[in-house]
Order: sequence, then structure tokens, then C-alpha cells
Amino acid sequence: MEIVVCLKPVPEAETRLRAATDGRALDSEGVKFVLAGYDESALEQALLLKESIAGSRVHAVSYGPGPRTEEVLRAAIALGADLATWVEAPPGTALDPIAAARALAAAITSVPHDLILCGKQAGDDEAGLVPPALGELLSLPEFSSVVDLRWDAGTSRFRFLRSTEEGGERWESSGPCVMGLQQAWNDPRTAKLPNILRSRKATIARRPLEPVPAGPRSESERFELPAPRTGARMIEYKTPAEAAQQLVRLLREEAKVFP
Amino acid sequence: MTAPILVVGEVQAGHLTSPTLECITVGQHLAAGQAPVIGFVAGSSARSVADEFSHVGVARVVVVTDATLDTALVAATAHAVAAAAERVGADTVLVGGTTFGRELVGRLAIRWNASAASSVTEVRKEGDALHVRRPIFGGRATETRRLDGPRFVLALRPHTFPVPPDAAVPSNIEEVPLPSLPPGLLVARRTALEPTSEGVGPSLGDASIVVSGGRGVRTAENFHLVEELAAALGAAVGASRAVTDAGWRPSSFQVGQTGRSVSPQLYIAVGISGAIQHLVGMLSSRVIVAINSDASAPIFRVADYGIVGDLFQILPALTAEIRRVRGL
Ligand SMILES: Cc1cc2nc3c(=O)[nH]c(=O)nc-3n(C[C@H](O)[C@H](O)[C@H](O)COP(=O)(O)OP(=O)(O)OC[C@H]3O[C@@H](n4cnc5c(N)ncnc54)[C@H](O)[C@@H]3O)c2cc1C
Repeated sequence: MEIVVCLKPVPEAETRLRAATDGRALDSEGVKFVLAGYDESALEQALLLKESIAGSRVHAVSYGPGPRTEEVLRAAIALGADLATWVEAPPGTALDPIAAARALAAAITSVPHDLILCGKQAGDDEAGLVPPALGELLSLPEFSSVVDLRWDAGTSRFRFLRSTEEGGERWESSGPCVMGLQQAWNDPRTAKLPNILRSRKATIARRPLEPVPAGPRSESERFELPAPRTGARMIEYKTPAEAAQQLVRLLREEAKVFP
Repeated sequence: MTAPILVVGEVQAGHLTSPTLECITVGQHLAAGQAPVIGFVAGSSARSVADEFSHVGVARVVVVTDATLDTALVAATAHAVAAAAERVGADTVLVGGTTFGRELVGRLAIRWNASAASSVTEVRKEGDALHVRRPIFGGRATETRRLDGPRFVLALRPHTFPVPPDAAVPSNIEEVPLPSLPPGLLVARRTALEPTSEGVGPSLGDASIVVSGGRGVRTAENFHLVEELAAALGAAVGASRAVTDAGWRPSSFQVGQTGRSVSPQLYIAVGISGAIQHLVGMLSSRVIVAINSDASAPIFRVADYGIVGDLFQILPALTAEIRRVRGL
């Protein structure tokens, strides 16, 4: 089985966010980029499937500028991906999720793909638009918020569970689809040193960005940090009952969160 | 811009959802009386739900009653919405930013060749462009994006906008057929639906109030204290990773970087220290309450209201007080 995983480098969670001088985007100077959290789940899921189906390969694909994009691909190889394709975005390209989906789809179309896994959304722009847009571009069904995925060899079907507002939905698919994973993998594998060393020399297929068809675009024009929270208003009380009464009164009268 | 605005109705338990109603408010605001807001609803119960649009001032509704759409295959709905938008000459499609809504927007951006944004909390029209605000980085920052026209599809963040006032208008329902679908889209089939983990209360992503417990709760058995408070509030239950790692609750409860992101009106963190990986999943909540025995816990730096105290004493008192004021 040929499993494609789409990966995006994002600033690590601990990053101190600040706006770039033009005020339009994050200042990425000195920021460390890592694999987006849900993408890590997608990669882990891809590797687990590969291990359970003989003759499978995992192909990591990423769109973005160097060197961060190349680095996450090498990290994926160190973890067990067999192939990697980097769709190069010129430095300074403002990343638009729909443009990213187009770039990824162009790369995926030209390689074998029985299943395409993505993170449900990336921890930076949190748009969640790449998986469904990829589905439409590739004319495949797409399922976001997948929390469990198996290959049923007996019936040659993917069986998966997605978690939506209405609860759990169980699905099966007899053909390729795109999935956005949202799995709490609290212990994804870590790369072993020899594999890290080998990944440094692995070949990464580079694809120039094809000129995108003229079409609607979106662009960030302002990046703002919320006014620093001034800290909680602390409730003074003598008994737990008094604390409860005060909190409920404040929530109703001041915060107006419930009637 | 005077083209109509199409609001895609999402149906739950036989009714339009409140995120759908919020879209009608935003649609009416954007149209500013210059163009109609038109409803869209799909699925075998579409006809009966379509009337609900007319209770809030939306007269014209396009319905597709094909049962193919019942299985929530978003791809099929996206094709039907694109055809409906074409038919009514809309330039903007709005949908609630649920799992369904976000998938719909991603597909429509391609299918209908529109510029797209999700988790939108503010929309402003200026000339031919829309400017939208949306939380990013787990609510630690906000971006304003300019979307170039002529077509727009937006998923609006649920619980952000008011629902429209009642305004009955005569309803004008138009039934259209489902466009034919590429066969590749039909390889998947829904086999079962399982109600939310406990079968009670709203699910995490959807709830307007979330009560989450952390390691401070100490054992799986004690977690009922968190659940009782949630039940009194009609809230969903969440947890920190300390709880899901310990197996006190399943990972579907986890809020944070590797769990779910939530943005309710009210988030109550009980016995949670406030690690950054937890905060990124809940910082965009409107009001945050922290209950923690350690006055220096970082959660108090992001909370609006704080109680320093022992959760084993505070929670029962709080649950009792809420039951009292709600007459439960
Ligand atoms: C890559 C990565 C991803 C992660 N993803 C997530 C994630 O998605 N979600 C997440 O939550 N965490 C995540 N974490 C873990 C995170 O760093 C913290 O370890 C975790 O959030 C801590 O959970 P906690 O606040 O419940 O526990 P603790 O940090 O142990 O805090 C327990 C709190 O309970 C208080 N307490 C104790 N007893 C009482 C009492 N009787 N009454 C009141 N208060 C009491 C204590 O004062 C303390 O503040 C991640 C970590 C990593 C490295």
C-alpha cells in the first residue's frame, strides 16, 4: 500500500509569539519549527499501517520554504518514512491553505497513492482547509477528525472512526481517501540515532512550485497578540459555599455567561 | 456587492443548529438589506427543516432531498451547494464552523473557486474584498486576512455571533436535484453512528460550556465531581493530558495541543496547572475560570476568575449552587 502523509512545519508550541515589523504575520526570526502536532499523529498512523501491511511504503510530502520544510521531511525519514517530496515555496511566500492544497495535490497526483493522511489542522493557522481541499482536488472523499484507522485485509477496506459534534461515526472505504487525523498520540515514536544520521543523507525529491492558476486568494494583513490578560480576579471567601455563590454571581452578572 | 448570500443549514436532531442561525445573522449584516439571504439544506429531512429558515426572516430556501446526503458525505453536499450557489447567483456562502462546516468550506473553495476562511469571528466588507478575523495559534494570536473576491466561502466560529430574532416570513422552498458525482467519491460508506461518549450532554467541540479536570482530581473515581458540575451546567466534560495518560478518561476527552481545541463561552479548569500544551487548546474560550489549590499555578495568569482552594470542597459547593440558581 502506498501511503502519502502531508506534513507542515510549524513554530514549536513554546514559541514566544510576536508580530513581524510589518505587522502582517508572525516574526519567524529565531523561531524553531517542528512537525505540526496532528501531522505527527498522521505520520505515526501511517507508520503503524505500513508495519501492518507487507510491502507498504510511506511517502512524506511537504510544501513550504527551506530549510524548515526540508528538516521536517528528514525528521519523517528518520522516523520511518520511505520517500519524501518537497514542494518548494519561494522564501517569504505567505502560505495560503488553498494554495498549499493545490501545491500538495499536484505532487500527490504524480505519485502512487492509496491513502492520504494529513493532520486535521496545523497548530499555526489552524485553518483545517488543506485536507478537504485536497479531497476535492483529487476527487476523493475526505474525512476530518479521524481518531482511529485500521486496514481490514479480509475485506480490503479501511475502517475508521471519526469524532464529530454528534459523536463517533464509523466508516469504511473500499478505495483511496484523504483523512485529517485528530488523534491524541501521547507517545509517538522517537527516532533512533542511526536513523537520524541516515536521514541526513537521504534523497528528498524536490519539486518546484508550479505556477498556480489565477484564482481567489487570501492573505494575512494583520497579526495581533491579545492584550495581556491581567490575571484572574481572585475570589475571596471564608467557606466553599461562599466561594461558589460569589463565582456564580460574577458569572451571571458580570461575565454574563449564563442566565 | 449586491449578490445574494447563501447560508448552508446544518441539521441536528431534526432542527437547524445554532451555528447555522448565527450564520443568518452574519449574512443579514453583510447583505445590509441590499441582497437576500438564501437558505440551503440537504438530506431526506431537508423539506421539513427548510421551514425553520422562514421563522428567522429567510424566505427563499434551496433544498436537495436526496438520501445520498444523509450519510454526511461532505463531498456530495459540497457539489450540491456549489450548484445551488450558481443557481441563485450568490457570491458568498456561509456555514457554521463545525467539523462539517470546515470540510464543506475546504471543498467549496476548490469546487466553486472561491477564497476561503475558517474559524471566522469577524467579517468586514470593503470594496470587492472581505476582511476576516480569526484566532490562530490556539487563541494565542489573531490574524486578519484579506480575501479577494469575487466569491467567498466562510466557516464561522460557533458561539461567536448572536442568533437572529424571530421574524416570520412566508417560505419559498425550491427543490433541486443532486448533481451527478464522480464515482471515486462514493467508495466510502458510513456503517454506524455512536452518540457522544456518555450518550449525555453536548460533545466537547460543540459545547458552549466546558468543565475540564486535571491531575488534581487524583483518581478516575473522583472524576464524577467534574462530571456532576458539568451536568448541572449542561456542559461538556474535558480533561488534561495528565488525566488521559493515566487512563482516568479516554483520549477523546483531552483538550490541548495533542487533543481537541475548544472555544466555548465558559471554560472551567479544575485541578489543571495550565501548561502551554493545555492552554493552546482552550485559550480562545470567552471566559475562563480556574480552580486550583496552588495560588501560583500558571492557569491563574490566563483565567478571568480564580478560586484558590481544594477542589474536593469547592466542586460540591459549586455544583450545589448552580443547581440552586438553575432550579434543578
Ligand atoms: C508534545 C506534548 C504535547 C502535549 N499535549 C497536551 C495536551 O494536548 N493537553 C494537555 O492537557 N497536556 C498536554 N501536554 C502535557 C502538559 O505539558 C502537562 O503535563 C499537562 O497538561 C499537565 O496536566 P495537569 O495540569 O492536569 O497536571 P499538573 O501539571 O500535574 O497539575 C495538576 C494541578 O492540580 C492542582 N491540584 C492538586 N490537588 C488539587 C486539589 N485538591 N484541589 C485543586 N487543585 C489541585 C495542582 O496545584 C496543579 O496545579 C503535552 C506535553 C507535550 C510534551
